[in-house]
Amino acid sequence: MSQSYDRGTVEDFGRWKEFSAGMWAWIFHKFTGWVLVGYLFTHIAVLSTATQGATTYTQTIRGLEALAIVRVLEVGLLAVAVFHILNGVRLLFVDLGVGLEAQDKSFYASLVLSGAIVVASVPTFVSGAF
Amino acid sequence: MAEHYSSFNRGNTRWFLQRITAVFLIGVLAFHFMLLHFVNHAAEITFLGTQARMSQVGYFGTMIAFLVTATFHGVNGVYNALINQGLEGTQKQAVKWVLVVASLVLVAQGSRTALYMAGIIA
Amino acid sequence: MSTGIQESETEADTEEQDTAAEESAAQRQRMETKRQRAAERDLQEKAEEELDDSENAVELKVFRYDPEVEGKEEPRFDTFHVPFFKGMTVLDALIYARDHFDSSLTFRHSCRQAICGSDALFINGRQRLGCKTQMVDLDWPVRIEPLPHQDVVKDLVVDMEHFYDQMESVEPYFDPEETPKKSDLEEQRQDRENREKIKMSTRCIWCGACMSSCNIAAGDNEYLGPAAINKAYRFAMDEREGENMKQHRLNIIEQEHGVWRCQTQFSCTEVCPKDIPLTEHIQELKREAVKNNLKFW
Repeated sequence: MSQSYDRGTVEDFGRWKEFSAGMWAWIFHKFTGWVLVGYLFTHIAVLSTATQGATTYTQTIRGLEALAIVRVLEVGLLAVAVFHILNGVRLLFVDLGVGLEAQDKSFYASLVLSGAIVVASVPTFVSGAF
Repeated sequence: MAEHYSSFNRGNTRWFLQRITAVFLIGVLAFHFMLLHFVNHAAEITFLGTQARMSQVGYFGTMIAFLVTATFHGVNGVYNALINQGLEGTQKQAVKWVLVVASLVLVAQGSRTALYMAGIIA
Repeated sequence: MSTGIQESETEADTEEQDTAAEESAAQRQRMETKRQRAAERDLQEKAEEELDDSENAVELKVFRYDPEVEGKEEPRFDTFHVPFFKGMTVLDALIYARDHFDSSLTFRHSCRQAICGSDALFINGRQRLGCKTQMVDLDWPVRIEPLPHQDVVKDLVVDMEHFYDQMESVEPYFDPEETPKKSDLEEQRQDRENREKIKMSTRCIWCGACMSSCNIAAGDNEYLGPAAINKAYRFAMDEREGENMKQHRLNIIEQEHGVWRCQTQFSCTEVCPKDIPLTEHIQELKREAVKNNLKFW
């Protein structure tokens, strides 16, 4: 159809206010997934200092953990991981065909629970850095 | 649509493995976070502490399994995300092999590091 | 054309010259045009009166686009004010607007009772059937657009060809080779339980709302889409389907752009005007495909 008008994909993101729970769950799951896989590569790279000897390893990790920004990023990482886990559990139930009617509620529940766990963990994560 | 079949369907297997690894990772990732942020604080990690943990066969095995499953789950997830965006043809093949190589490098380097940590090679 | 209430010009209708014995063809035509214009004026005047009389007027913002008419190639929104009556649906309002204000306003509709599947539209940011959506259930003004992720042909009309292709690609029929011979029995029966299982999946009216709402179908043109997979479910789960055909069907839906592309966002399930649990059906087919594969191990 040469004479048709394709509205493109602009509408997809421009209409974010109209997204439903399931769509948000997908967007967050995907985003957290990207972050986690990115972190996995970084994590192995940092730990690889173990091949350079015990002192290098200990100093690298201690040096990084002394930085406030690293601690804050770690809280972010926790948030991302907890949400990915909880929403992942939700998705496994969806795959098993269990509780499909409550899929929106279980998404909100995983959001709230992630928030609560992260807030509760903040003291442990930032202690000694500030 | 139905041009060629194979009894061992890739999409099928990848989907299934993504779920199986997910179940494993839920437990291990939660354990990993607990152990290295609450039981042992991340800021107090030393090589000796790491070595003590990694010298236990069970822990070592779990960490290697963690590395392999996480790599598969993560990289397969990225591949799926790209297919969902309509990636196809040569580009898809290229991306696939880049991801496969990246995974292999990651697992190899991770395992090597683990061996150093366990003190098996020094 | 917007609704604005048009000034009615009072044209003198008394020009008729009966003196001439032979009315020229040109004049007959002129008279005809005039009558038509008068009829249109009457409709518009009537619409104005109705607008004045009715307590409420709905404001419609309708997507307009016509590649064939100069000055209309650029998409735009037109506003129509339509008198509201109790029980008015979005389709009623559109029909009113077309009949009274702008006869070039184009949209598909047929049965007006949510069974033909012609009038799936994007109403206030959601895929709905125009005839099944009550005006009172919407926020006013009501924004009406053609279905997203499909090419627009004109105004609210989208190109459904791709959707129909996907529907047909799952080969939605039994294999006649595998149905019992006519001599064996007069009819092929299905037990009640099995009928109940596939009941919802048989209700699809091919409106395309699900496909339009699906994020994945938007990005991946080869993805079968919820409606086609549901169609496959309807046959694969039917006990009357032969073994060979079922294997063949599973092979179709479990290709790379089949069920595995579904990301369980539930968008299709939420917009389906016939309340078909599409996501549930897709998930069941995924499990069926995995089980089918594991059997060979």
